[in-house]
Amino acid sequence: MPASVRSDLEHIFRSAYPRVVGVAARVLGSRDEAEDVAQEAFLAFGRSSVPAGEAVGWLCVAAAHTALNHLRSGRRRASREEAATDGGHSTAPDVADAVVTLDERRRVRAALSRLPRRQAIALVLRHSGLSYAEVAAALELSPGSVGTTVRRAESALRKELGHASPE
Amino acid sequence: MPHPSDGLLRRLVDEPDGVADSDREHVTSCAHCRSRLVEAEADALLVESALRFDVAPDVDAAWNRLVTAAPVAVPVRNRRRFAVRSPFVAVVGVVALLGGASAAAAGDWFQIFHTEKVAPVTVEQADLVALPDLSSYGAMTVAERPNVRSVEGANEARRITGLPTPLVKELPRGVTGQPRFVVGNRMKAIFAFDREKAEQTLGQPMPEPPAGLSTSQFSLTAGPGLAAVWSEARGVPALIVGRVKAPTAYSTGVPFETGLDYLLTLPGLPATVADQLRSFKNATTLPLLVRSATQVSFTTDVNGTPATVLASRDGAVSTVVWVEKGHVNAVGGTLSTDEVLDVARNLRWKQ
Repeated sequence: MPASVRSDLEHIFRSAYPRVVGVAARVLGSRDEAEDVAQEAFLAFGRSSVPAGEAVGWLCVAAAHTALNHLRSGRRRASREEAATDGGHSTAPDVADAVVTLDERRRVRAALSRLPRRQAIALVLRHSGLSYAEVAAALELSPGSVGTTVRRAESALRKELGHASPE
Repeated sequence: MPHPSDGLLRRLVDEPDGVADSDREHVTSCAHCRSRLVEAEADALLVESALRFDVAPDVDAAWNRLVTAAPVAVPVRNRRRFAVRSPFVAVVGVVALLGGASAAAAGDWFQIFHTEKVAPVTVEQADLVALPDLSSYGAMTVAERPNVRSVEGANEARRITGLPTPLVKELPRGVTGQPRFVVGNRMKAIFAFDREKAEQTLGQPMPEPPAGLSTSQFSLTAGPGLAAVWSEARGVPALIVGRVKAPTAYSTGVPFETGLDYLLTLPGLPATVADQLRSFKNATTLPLLVRSATQVSFTTDVNGTPATVLASRDGAVSTVVWVEKGHVNAVGGTLSTDEVLDVARNLRWKQ
């Protein structure tokens, strides 16, 4: 194997790929684009010397960054955005699904691209299932400030949607 | 007891085990905090729903895509393909390595390492693999990532990087068509030496560092850069012509040599590499790693500028690298050394 390609790439790829795609998919709302972004992240990771123990966090941050760059570049075609159920793998709809329309999903993603980058990434990572400790390690935050960062981001997105806060 | 912060309430929503019992009890008994918690729960649910996008990708297919779509960057058995990229990777690796040594600085930031030329360092492949990861020696923060990507045409590449794009007067035999352009932003990494972490990671005591090392930081920048890439039918790069703003290192005090000297005493650095690095007392020389098992190197010039040529031992892949006016230039490909030198010597750059 060439020296500058890490020997643990395939093992890490197989264990982390679904999660990395999931991060990008939450940002982009498109499975195809999310897989493109994940491939890009793994290519960069393959050439890196990131310690294996930090791989998942590093990959998720890289995927979120790249996906947000895609959003921000404005070069995406709106038609690529899919409803969550169009992915073909959605679980049964829950109550919240009923009140969040496709248009609202688009608005949330547009708002996501305008958030401070660290807030946006912390939000996406947490909603992708990374623990507070994992998000903290990946973004070099304290676990306490992860909650604050995520909370601010959620509050900003809720305002963007024009939803009143519950009394 | 003060009301818990918004961040703590947020954690209570979905990771309550991470919240102290006293805070949980406070929220239970405080109407104001219960109301804030309900608000946090509602926002979390709304955003979760808005962002949710369940996918179950085909991992086998994705792995095959990674391997077949980008043979130069993933573990493939075809050395001919991979070697095109190797010198660039090696340059970055060595610069990062030297950068770590320079964390020995203290005081105000000043430039301690500026690339003006390159010189080859020969290493065995095993040594290259064994080069220490800087994160073992302290905290490495990537402040700016290069985000290497393809762009639409030369104009876009110039606009993004501010660098001129190469014009190849006559393509080598077998190379045809128009190039695609790849750009990378400036990369910036900041390294802070941490003796305790280094000792913990390496499991052995570190030599006494120079005074001030533990409180200083080291900054390494490289780029932006661009490359024109001509590919064969299967996507394998046949010719790459690139330019990168040369790597520069900044530190907060002592001369580069002090940092380099300390680096050379650290455990983990292969002895053969250390011996060769000792010859680099000139802080303007960028060492270029050569894998002795698969590559050969020699020095020449590109229109009067000293240049280093790397070639695979089977002659299938060659690269010439030279530093000029603060930029590292490279021409490489599945070509002979004569062919890459011919391209390099007849290059023009469009501003």
